[in-house]
Amino acid sequence: MKVFHFVIVGLLAFFGANCQKDNKSGASKKADTKLYIFNWTYYMPDQVRADFEKEFGVQIVYDVYPSNEEMFAKLKAGGTGYDVVFPSGDFVSIMMHEGMLDSIDLSKIPNFTNVDTAVLKKIKFDAGNHCSVPYMMASSGVCVNKKADGTYDKSWNIFARSDLKGMMTMLDDMREVLGAALKTLGYSVNSRNPEELEKAKNVVLTWKQNLLKFDAESFAKGFAAGEFSVVHGYAKNIFLEYDSTKRDEVDFFIPREGGPLYMDNMVILKDARHKELALKFINYVHRPQVYAKICDFLMLPSINVPAREFTKKKPHYSIEALSKSEFKEDLGADLDLYNKIWQEIRIGN
Amino acid sequence: MHKKRGFSLVIFSCVIAFFYIPLVVLIVYSFNASKSMSLTGFSFVWYHKLFFDSRDLWSACLNSLLIAAASASVATILGTLGAIGLNWYTFAFKRYIQVVTFLPLILPEIIIGVSLLIFFAGIHFKLSLLTIFIAHTTFNIPFVMLIVLSRLEEFDYSILEAARDLGAREIDTLFKVIIPLSMPGIISGFLTAVTLSLEDFVITFFVAGPGSATLPLYVYSMIRFGVSPVINALSVVIIAATIILAFSTKNIYKYIIGR
Amino acid sequence: MKRSYGATYSAPVALWITFFFVIPLLIICCYSFMAKGLYGGVVNRFALDAYTALANAAFIRVTLSTLWISSIATMVTILLALPAAYFIARSEHATVYLFLVIIPFWTNFLIRIYAWIAILGNNGFLNELLLTTGVVTAPIQFLYNQYAVIVVLVYTYLPFAILPLYATIEKFDFSLLEAARDLGATKFQSIVKVLVPNIQSGIITSVLFVFIPSFGAYAVPQLVGGRDSVMLGNIITRELTVTRNWPLAASISVVITLITTCGVLLFMRLQKSKSSHVVLDGRSL
Repeated sequence: MKVFHFVIVGLLAFFGANCQKDNKSGASKKADTKLYIFNWTYYMPDQVRADFEKEFGVQIVYDVYPSNEEMFAKLKAGGTGYDVVFPSGDFVSIMMHEGMLDSIDLSKIPNFTNVDTAVLKKIKFDAGNHCSVPYMMASSGVCVNKKADGTYDKSWNIFARSDLKGMMTMLDDMREVLGAALKTLGYSVNSRNPEELEKAKNVVLTWKQNLLKFDAESFAKGFAAGEFSVVHGYAKNIFLEYDSTKRDEVDFFIPREGGPLYMDNMVILKDARHKELALKFINYVHRPQVYAKICDFLMLPSINVPAREFTKKKPHYSIEALSKSEFKEDLGADLDLYNKIWQEIRIGN
Repeated sequence: MHKKRGFSLVIFSCVIAFFYIPLVVLIVYSFNASKSMSLTGFSFVWYHKLFFDSRDLWSACLNSLLIAAASASVATILGTLGAIGLNWYTFAFKRYIQVVTFLPLILPEIIIGVSLLIFFAGIHFKLSLLTIFIAHTTFNIPFVMLIVLSRLEEFDYSILEAARDLGAREIDTLFKVIIPLSMPGIISGFLTAVTLSLEDFVITFFVAGPGSATLPLYVYSMIRFGVSPVINALSVVIIAATIILAFSTKNIYKYIIGR
Repeated sequence: MKRSYGATYSAPVALWITFFFVIPLLIICCYSFMAKGLYGGVVNRFALDAYTALANAAFIRVTLSTLWISSIATMVTILLALPAAYFIARSEHATVYLFLVIIPFWTNFLIRIYAWIAILGNNGFLNELLLTTGVVTAPIQFLYNQYAVIVVLVYTYLPFAILPLYATIEKFDFSLLEAARDLGATKFQSIVKVLVPNIQSGIITSVLFVFIPSFGAYAVPQLVGGRDSVMLGNIITRELTVTRNWPLAASISVVITLITTCGVLLFMRLQKSKSSHVVLDGRSL
């Protein structure tokens, strides 16, 4: 059976090729020529990567993940091979706790001084930045289709409006939704007080009556398609789906009560094999011209002070709009409190 | 008989329509000038991007095809042989094998993915395309085995007896009698395995090594930021390529079953 | 001589599955009996917390609704797959039709779901059609509910029902049906009493291929389901990634696996005792 033989030979060749790739452990002593990055999709413009590769004469191997949780599950269960990862603040503290991060010698990152000290002061998950360098600060907000909704109050309580029932979604993200509710009640997004959380739960349950679904992934597509007229989500998702011509029809705002804020950071994994190159990369990102390019691509406010001179596009919201927002911090064992409440909201009663 | 054919033809056509309507929509959007869901105009911009600006996408695509072909082949071979063994013989571990080869079907994918990752990490087996191949073969095996088994159950055993009486060795019986007569089952199993492998995201995400992205990994991670219509264009290209391949392999199929 | 080959045939697959599946499965079983680590993973301590947590009204409710959705999806799928597979098996261009069935599923799953959203959405093609032809005056909410989940589940798993059915129907001797008609049976009777019992194994395989994956589905309810379309697959994913309660995710999986395995074994034993299976050379299972 010729086909059978062909298949066997093909497989052996395939195996052989792969077994060679496995012998990489001796290569770390050679000059670092490859950098392995694990990042969110669309979070870094291709141009920035290409420029880095050209300038330093190296190759970037770039893999992507859809969420912090999946990235963490993979790394925790034993996925190795990456040098630089981009976790959000609360995950930085978790990963530090689990001993997954390498400490960063800030003297090797001169451009770190470009980062806005006012922002750095707000950071509690890694005060002093021993293991992480901030990348992007952003917040979820509310996006409204101006045509469909008429006048509205720029507040989280837009979700309590029953006249918009069935046209709204909120993120399927426990910290984001509960954080929003906590803020409308005047509490902290990192509250560990069971009474405050119970009140927040009731707020969300009233909102839930008007929601069509909880969606953390496709809200942007649905919003752009006209399925929803009010969504709770991230600006860059929504505007990536929209053409620039239609942008005036929508209004993205950070509600006046403030909300949960997040900071995505660059970290170096403890078992990274190309640490020198990783440090060079992190330093490169905070070069003002480079960082400005990233801000323009994502249309987010710049936390790098000199870069603000170079940005060409106006971000979706300014740093001032975020003044009332708080960073999401890790909750430790109290995560279970939030879990229980979120479960009651999603599938109970 | 004719009326039954009519009814089944109607259902079959409905099923095909059901399958292809989303495909038509997909193709339409691949020619849409803008990224949004509203049709703004006819354009080749996504095809242009696909062929000139998507190096990562093509390497992911190639990985997917390679792994699908390899894992489906190995799963088909292992599964077919296993099904033959289970169907007609009794031996020491039969019960064990029956239960165990059936289990990957039941376990949720994310659990299979994480447990395989823990296993590979535990034995210090480096993550790479090879680990994806192993994972895919593992979850493909029950599908192939069950399909071939159900085919073998209707097998007329007297043909095998006749072959043996005529002096055929076991290996001849295998290649000249059993396999040709179970070909529809083997092909169904193989096609199922290829489809499952091409589509898999969850298991692949956990066991993929750095730099060994497959197509689903590439696409699913886009989900939060809007999946680009370049993927639509790619899908159209894949369909066209498959159809061309299918028609040219019709002859190879005839050769395999020796008609 | 015949006896010895059984082990030879089954050894490769047995070794592969044992090494690459049973061992990981044992890891999961162990995890389900351990305590949850604070940030995921497990702590080396024996604990039954993961199992006691299952006795929870919310879990049971989700399990029941998942059972409901996947059962309906399976029934609809099989009812559609049977005539389709029959048609393919009896036609001369079987390979062509098989490819036709499979090809759409080699395009990316997510894109196809988005295509469905474009079709079924409030501003989608179907509603546009209904509005312009005046059948309805306001768009019908097709999406983001249990029905959308069922329709998309049927769409997703139909080819996996058609392929095994085709494999068994193809082998069936259709002259038996004609014989039955000649003996006076109606068309319906001949199909139900002659065709169906003989392709039983194919039907069982198809049911398994549709029911089990749709029971564990999580992407479909997440994408097209509504605020209350939470299925067991979503719960397991959430426990593993968001709550980082690995033992609980493991225990749910162990329980599902045990129940499904027992259910299927029981079902198959019932089938074997009912059908008039001719036993040759001691080849009964």
